[in-house]
Amino acid sequence: MTAQFWTACLLLLVPLGCGGAQPQPPPGRAERPDVIIPMGLLPGGQAETPVVPPKYTFAVIPKGTTHEFWKSVHAGAENAAKEFGDVKILWKGPLLENDRDGQISVVQDFVTKKVDGIILAPLDKQALVDAVKDAQAANIPVLIFDSALQDESLIVSYVATDNLKGGQLAGRQLGESMGGQGNVVMLRYNTGSESTEQREDGFLEAIKSGFPNIKVLSSNEYAGTTPESSLDKVTQILTKHKGEVNGIFAVCEPNAAGVLKALEESGLAGKVKFVAFDPNKELIQGMADGKVHGIVLQDPVTMGYESVKRLVAHLNGEKVEKRIGTGEYVATPENMATSEMDKLLKPQQFE
Amino acid sequence: MSSPVLTMSGITKSFGATHALRDVSLDVPAGRVMALIGENGAGKSTLMKVLSGAHSPDAGTMTLNGKPFAPSGPHAARLAGVGMIYQELNLAPDLSVEDNIMLGQERGRFGLLDRATQRAKVRDALDLLGHSDLKPNTPVRELPIAQQQLVEIARALASDCKVIVFDEPTSSLTRSDVEHLFAVIRRLKTAGLGIVYISHFLEEIRQVCDCYAVLRDGQSVGGGDLSDATDTNIVSLMVGRSVSELFPSVPHTPGEIVLQVSGLSGESSPVDVSFELRRGEILGIAGLIGAGRTELLRCLFGLDRCRTGSLTRSVSEGERFTKRGCQSQVQRSPSLTLRVSEGFGLVSEDRKTEGLAQSRSIADNMTYSRLKPYSRFGWLNLKRRRTAVADWMQRLHVKAASPEQSVSELSGGNQQKVAIARVLHQEADILLLDEPTRGIDVGTKAEIYRLMGEQAAAGKAIIFVSSYLTELLAVCDRVAVMSRGRFKEIRVARDWTAESVMSVAVSVNETVA
Amino acid sequence: MIEPPTTQPTSGYRTKSNQNWMRVFNVVGPFLALTAVVLFFAIADGWMNGEKATFLTGRNLMTISSQTATVAVAALGMTVIIIAGGIDLSAGTAIALCATVLAWSLKEDLGPRWFANETTASVAKSITEAKGDLKQIEREIEALAGGEYNTTQVAAKLMAKSDAEETIRQHERRLTKLKSLSAAVAVGMSLGCGAFCGFVNGLLVSYLRVVPFIVTLGTMQLYLGLSKQVARETTVRPDRFSQVSDGLVDLLSVRADALWLGLPSGVWLTLLLAALLAAVLHWTVFSRYVFALGSNEATARLCGINVRWNKIAVYTLSGLFVGVGGVYQFSRLTVGNPTSGSGLELRIIAAVVIGGASLSGGRGSVLGTLLGALIMSVIANGCTMLGLQNPVQDMILGVIIVAAVALDQFRQRAVSRKP
Repeated sequence: MTAQFWTACLLLLVPLGCGGAQPQPPPGRAERPDVIIPMGLLPGGQAETPVVPPKYTFAVIPKGTTHEFWKSVHAGAENAAKEFGDVKILWKGPLLENDRDGQISVVQDFVTKKVDGIILAPLDKQALVDAVKDAQAANIPVLIFDSALQDESLIVSYVATDNLKGGQLAGRQLGESMGGQGNVVMLRYNTGSESTEQREDGFLEAIKSGFPNIKVLSSNEYAGTTPESSLDKVTQILTKHKGEVNGIFAVCEPNAAGVLKALEESGLAGKVKFVAFDPNKELIQGMADGKVHGIVLQDPVTMGYESVKRLVAHLNGEKVEKRIGTGEYVATPENMATSEMDKLLKPQQFE
Repeated sequence: MSSPVLTMSGITKSFGATHALRDVSLDVPAGRVMALIGENGAGKSTLMKVLSGAHSPDAGTMTLNGKPFAPSGPHAARLAGVGMIYQELNLAPDLSVEDNIMLGQERGRFGLLDRATQRAKVRDALDLLGHSDLKPNTPVRELPIAQQQLVEIARALASDCKVIVFDEPTSSLTRSDVEHLFAVIRRLKTAGLGIVYISHFLEEIRQVCDCYAVLRDGQSVGGGDLSDATDTNIVSLMVGRSVSELFPSVPHTPGEIVLQVSGLSGESSPVDVSFELRRGEILGIAGLIGAGRTELLRCLFGLDRCRTGSLTRSVSEGERFTKRGCQSQVQRSPSLTLRVSEGFGLVSEDRKTEGLAQSRSIADNMTYSRLKPYSRFGWLNLKRRRTAVADWMQRLHVKAASPEQSVSELSGGNQQKVAIARVLHQEADILLLDEPTRGIDVGTKAEIYRLMGEQAAAGKAIIFVSSYLTELLAVCDRVAVMSRGRFKEIRVARDWTAESVMSVAVSVNETVA
Repeated sequence: MIEPPTTQPTSGYRTKSNQNWMRVFNVVGPFLALTAVVLFFAIADGWMNGEKATFLTGRNLMTISSQTATVAVAALGMTVIIIAGGIDLSAGTAIALCATVLAWSLKEDLGPRWFANETTASVAKSITEAKGDLKQIEREIEALAGGEYNTTQVAAKLMAKSDAEETIRQHERRLTKLKSLSAAVAVGMSLGCGAFCGFVNGLLVSYLRVVPFIVTLGTMQLYLGLSKQVARETTVRPDRFSQVSDGLVDLLSVRADALWLGLPSGVWLTLLLAALLAAVLHWTVFSRYVFALGSNEATARLCGINVRWNKIAVYTLSGLFVGVGGVYQFSRLTVGNPTSGSGLELRIIAAVVIGGASLSGGRGSVLGTLLGALIMSVIANGCTMLGLQNPVQDMILGVIIVAAVALDQFRQRAVSRKP
């Protein structure tokens, strides 16, 4: 972080009129600079190890950079890179979580930069197609993770959680913890988000087919992208259906954070069964306290790891399966103490 | 006569090229009320700003209570013992009476208020005023204006002031509140404070003051005990010398009526104003600041709403048409675009915030109101405009590098010429000039008078508002005197004297409100 | 009363040269900043990536220009608003609304249905059917070739085959035509939608007499809601192959075969619009009124300028540019998403401000705005090229904006410090 900050300071001098004071590059320079250039100019964390020039440079482009989920994917990708030793990861997402245009720009920039491969979690299954086509035209292989791309012929592989199955698991867990009786509320995430839509579909499907006595009170409310917006929405729904809600499903982590807060504030925590998708610290604590009755887990570390691994395999001429599942699990108050679940509940994060 | 509590001697202050004060001396005796008298712009407020620390004088010294006094700013002056009561109150409306009184001089230690000491201080001040009935906890917002003014006075007293300056304190008070205020002032006088009282109303001055000092053109021109002076003495001191050759006259004769105004009333002023204006006539409007002269012009031009009354604009061929805008009871303000097309042009009294787009060029400012001659299908012929503007600049002797120079870079006089050039370029038939000579030098003034005469000779009608009586009487054909929103009297200019104008303007003999 | 004889202020010369220097700086300032930023990234990229440096390659600069276009074109409209002393916070969501309306129009086949009484889906279906027929015929020919055959039979089949191929070609031509028609109508709707959004803003600003900041804060939300309504709370996805005209997608595509004279056609269009706007701002009566409004609204009123209608015109004009921005956004995304404009307004305003316009009105330039938009894109692109993380990128942008605004303040103070 300090290195990053240092770089920022250096960069900030530019607009203030110190552009002329930049060091000139030595002509005909052959070797890599290692001492004169501040380490911070290299991507964070990579500064210490470039002893061997990397064979492959991969751009990993998440949907955003602030959620914990992506930090775990980043950790997994770096794990794989370390394992291979000659792979360098460039980690860069759009500035805002739903900035499709920004993500397209990032892909275009990496195509121009001629990286050896791009690992992308597309914000939109259609909008990113043309950018991926550009990459293909420039002979840069693209591997998709987390969310699907419309045109699968363009990509090396698709590494992801089966979100439909995850949604079904959530439905089953919530149905069982409610004893097959009562009213549920499902909160959607944001318009046009592929992965959460699949979870939503899977959840509704599981409730419909497995629990005929459970009624879906509300399944068309969008809780928005932040815990704050989710908190507001849930509070409104709980007020509207006062005393009727027996179960809630939140399709993603920011959503669930808001739901938990709302339940706690309205004194319903523990009384209303609550299943979340993706963990965070509060949710895990909530589960220990009996306020959360299930968390569907993905395996982001494996997702990052597998993505890098498969892309290297592809570049080495091996055949790679078109679709790779990274598994989905349900943590319950009963099994949360097991080491397997613990690892998934508190996945490794990139520092 | 008691020894002066405040002496100001040889005070000189200039702003750029303008001498606001030249070698002014003033002695304020303890236990007496001194009236400070002068026309608008005579230097009264500048002198008081020097006293209150808002301006530091270029030369001259002051002593307060025998000690040298050179305040570094308003706060320092206040702490040293100079209290100022302006016509605009300076209170924090949501704070309590006590907090307002102690504002800026809170007693306390380590950031904690010492409420008890403060309360005692406030009590003393209110007692001295004879208004111990004011509750210190009341938010000031809930008090009537007159009591808010008391709070201001109490604030001055609480800082142990030696001198209190009242700057037109009665302008927002009712008749009975004025009496109360005078009672308070007399109390303060007996308490041994020195009091400076600024007012235009001679009647008021006679009621409350003991002695007077007159300023004119930034100089002291006289003073003494009020009992020794007649009103005529004082007014002639204020108005000064007679007309000089500073006013070039261009012969012009009034023709047929172009504008008939009857019963025009705005939101607060003007009140029921009627007059007619003729081609080739310069109608002057005199009156004190706040008499409603600017409002009258703004109503005529449609900038302010008119409540009642009618305007009849006649065009040259004798054809009459009444314009909408001022006829019905509730009427939205007429579009200014309409007024401009009817041949009205206004030069605002405020060049900076209204009259000119300061950051734009001379050419832009001059032609905003009439770009038609240079445009075809909305596109401008900049070259032709430039030539025309350069021509106007030459005619009005505007000193500038080029028509493209931004107006903010010009001197005040040249800016004023640009503003006037605009209404001339607009080819307006009725020119409404609001204080067109304010803040500009003597030479430019004379040029503007000549220009006005030329325009009148060319058949334009001009309404000329000014606070400078001499120029009004010299330049205008007729002069109307306004007071409290009403036309008091219209006479042919030569039937007025400065003294008679002043006595009409300052008369308080109000009809039923 | 005799005024003391006054001398002309002698400080005139000094302030004038000061002012001239300022004027030069206004134009050159953004240029310097852009040059400095580009130089910095070029040098840093050279240091870090050696021969593999790509920042200063033609392709990268072309990519940057394409990435800038949406913000740049909307910023052109915003420049006019800001010069007139206003602001438009709704520009971002209005762009998304325009893009969504465009996508919706394509998806619903509005153009073909209105003007050709046909849908792209039916033509696409006929193509699929015709292709099926062709396959069938080809299979029959193969079957014939395998066994006994006579020439008349084969000739008939071959005739049928070429007929089928001709049918497919006809249908494809028909589809291309329909797609262009659909695109034309959709683009028209986007522009109309943008102009309408601007008109509403202008109407509210001039008739409610509420500060534009507040009015457009409200319409920002309004347009977001409208576009969600149009999109039925999801993403509008016209079929990429049967409904979206290639011309529309190629507008900002960086594919080599979509470029025109080395740049995407959308970039050329932006430059053309910029040139047009610059001309309008220099040579029209309207522009005088715009500057007058921003410089001193009271003066404008005094001069009989119709303040209300000119404000409405300003916002509507800017709305047209927003409409073009909507077309560009769709061109890049190929979908209409209601939320994809949130936050865009700040980048648009930032571009104008970095370009030297004053938020208090009366000053701004087309060239500056283009440079401002470019500076932001260059920073985003350069940070990716150097592998710098998002926090750094955010901070740099922030500091540039603050520096631009500080500069503006400094300039204003320098002007108002005059006697």
